[in-house]
Amino acid sequence: MGEDTDAPPTLNHRGFLPDHNYVTEADIISTVEFNHTGELLATGDKGGRVVIFQREPESKCEPFSQGEYNVYSTFQSHEPEFDYLKSLEIEEKINKIRWLPQQNAAHFLLSTNDKTIKLWKVSERDKRPEGYNLKDEEGRIKDLSTVTSLQVPVLMPMDLMVEVSPRRVFANAHTYHVNSISVNSDYQTYMSADDLRINLWHLDITDRSFNIVDIKPANMEDLTEVITAAEFHPHHCNLFVYSSSKGTLRLCDMREAALCDKHSKLFEEPEDPSARSFFSEIISSVSDVKFSHSGRYLLTRDYLTAKVWDLNMESKPLETYQVHDYLRSKLCSLYENDCIFDKFECAWNGSDSVIMTGAYNNFFRMFDRNTKRDVTLEASRESSKPRAVLKPRRVCAAGGKRRKDDISVDSLDFTKKILHTAWHPTENIIAIAATNNLYIFQDKLNSELH
Amino acid sequence: MIMKGQKRKHPPEEVEISDRSSPMWESQRQLVFSVSLNKYHHGQELPEPSLRRSVLIANTLRQVSLEAFAAPSVDIEVSPPPCSSSSALHKSVVTAKQHPAETFSNSHSALDSDFSLSAAISSILTALDSTIDSCSQAAPRTPLRSLENLSAPSDGGVAWVKQGLRGYGGGWEQQEEGREWESSTELMRCSYLSELTVEDLFQDIDTSLLERDMEVLGLIGSGGECPTGDDLLRYLPPFSSSPSHPFSLSLNQNLKCLPSLSSFGPLSSSLPSLSSPHFSSQNHVREGLDLEHLMEILVES
Repeated sequence: MGEDTDAPPTLNHRGFLPDHNYVTEADIISTVEFNHTGELLATGDKGGRVVIFQREPESKCEPFSQGEYNVYSTFQSHEPEFDYLKSLEIEEKINKIRWLPQQNAAHFLLSTNDKTIKLWKVSERDKRPEGYNLKDEEGRIKDLSTVTSLQVPVLMPMDLMVEVSPRRVFANAHTYHVNSISVNSDYQTYMSADDLRINLWHLDITDRSFNIVDIKPANMEDLTEVITAAEFHPHHCNLFVYSSSKGTLRLCDMREAALCDKHSKLFEEPEDPSARSFFSEIISSVSDVKFSHSGRYLLTRDYLTAKVWDLNMESKPLETYQVHDYLRSKLCSLYENDCIFDKFECAWNGSDSVIMTGAYNNFFRMFDRNTKRDVTLEASRESSKPRAVLKPRRVCAAGGKRRKDDISVDSLDFTKKILHTAWHPTENIIAIAATNNLYIFQDKLNSELH
Repeated sequence: MIMKGQKRKHPPEEVEISDRSSPMWESQRQLVFSVSLNKYHHGQELPEPSLRRSVLIANTLRQVSLEAFAAPSVDIEVSPPPCSSSSALHKSVVTAKQHPAETFSNSHSALDSDFSLSAAISSILTALDSTIDSCSQAAPRTPLRSLENLSAPSDGGVAWVKQGLRGYGGGWEQQEEGREWESSTELMRCSYLSELTVEDLFQDIDTSLLERDMEVLGLIGSGGECPTGDDLLRYLPPFSSSPSHPFSLSLNQNLKCLPSLSSFGPLSSSLPSLSSPHFSSQNHVREGLDLEHLMEILVES
């Protein structure tokens, strides 16, 4: 990924989950997130489970074998619930996971389904006390007549045990489906956003939250826009951004008012009248928004493009990247088969020089903002063996000049979609969720970011 | 929604249809319209209707129908209204009967098929808006929560309900909130059963009245084509615009606060007595059954 290479980066492949011929619905990965150091990687799935991977420390005897990710812990975060009044099931699918910055030996993460957010504590236990006075090693009460002297219990090493416990449950604050959570840079509060409202929580207080954005119209017949994603600024604890289904971004300042319905900045690109179609609005719906690590830029993803915005310029994006423009003429079919409603996520690399997002056919795309080069790669078992170099892929228009190994638009598999991707905070390691498989790729040649 | 005698055209893939005068544009517009309609209804039947998806589809429908009006030279090929439009027309007749001030009656009596189609589209869109409302209102709100909404000072209709309740029995204020909720439910449904007077409502709010209403609803629900309380219930939103009906205004407010009654529950539609297969009767029977179920719960508690 450095500037000194024309060839695609050397990427190492690890597939972690067993291969199935069919896809178990509950195993479909629904979110992927690295923690702040990149040592841990959490995935959530449709069955309400969270799997945490830990990077093995680099071994000295094999200097070129960089740390690989192995399963660290697995737990059931959310269970299916039933809303008796509505006669509807509340899905246990994990919509988002966000790590808290580490402040002591334990790790904390927030996980959310459609309605309830939970704070989990992940801690290690590798010692246990031995030598109790009243109990013997098996835990039976000792016969007191045999106790002749007092001893102080000593901590002895034991096999590593990872314990996960729910510390807080933040429930009953959302009427609509929660789509985003974001931890504030003050490390005390976080926000949760559903289709029409955004609530601000304190991490220690579960019975109360403050509503900071409410776009529900007085008359629900007038509803034409919903909130699709929201995130806090990485450095300024008073700023956050939320995106809408109409393709707008709103930057809000919590110092201005208790209820941030009025935005401080509105980012919207004027519509190109020549490109207007019946589906213009649907494809303009922003599916993900991410602040850059610097806090200066915003990355948004809509159906066909990824855009980088400068916080200082509201009138139009700084850069627009076409993710799969060959789909533009297929929008009608994609509308019929519902693919047009797919919500793709996007990610920055650690230095904010490269952006990444997923596409169909298990393809994912990376765009280098400096060199303006882009690459399409595929996450699949067939096309990548461990330690093999990922080959760049190309999609050609139907009937166009086709090179070897090119894929025609009509042969794309729209059931294989890369919706969730994550980039290590400092290194060139990416995690790609392809339906029920997790792929982790490492750039060996250029592990440090440029 | 396939037009009778018209072959479903392959969607024009390669060309970006932005030229309104082209015949392909009109055919694509009609295709998008029909797909959107089916998609919306299908989405409503899902156990978890996604609000974002519903809003996007409704916006697309609105845009498609607006563009149809904006292109008057387009020859509308539909002379007999297709089945879902006919239900919409039927409903517009029903609404017209209730409120002669509504423009639906005027448009319905018009001979021009354009007008009837546009009326059908408007009523479908209004229905969609009301179902978005009901969909989004289908939230885990407890009866207590909905009553908190009722007590919001900005709701003019709320004051009416409370006054009404106070006026009809000294002990009313001391009733539990659940009972107030019951009675407002009652008010909503009963307003369209003209044989019941307001006094009747408040004389006896015990289970006997509720059971009678359930039966009434159940009977009507299986008929299919008759205008029912639930049918009209779904069309409360347009009623709210007529200020001469404070009754409907307050009831509209209540309707918005009472999700279960107007929500589309995931009930199986295997009702042998149902004659018409289209969505509206299925939905209002579903609502009827939802209501029954709800009433049973209230009665038992």
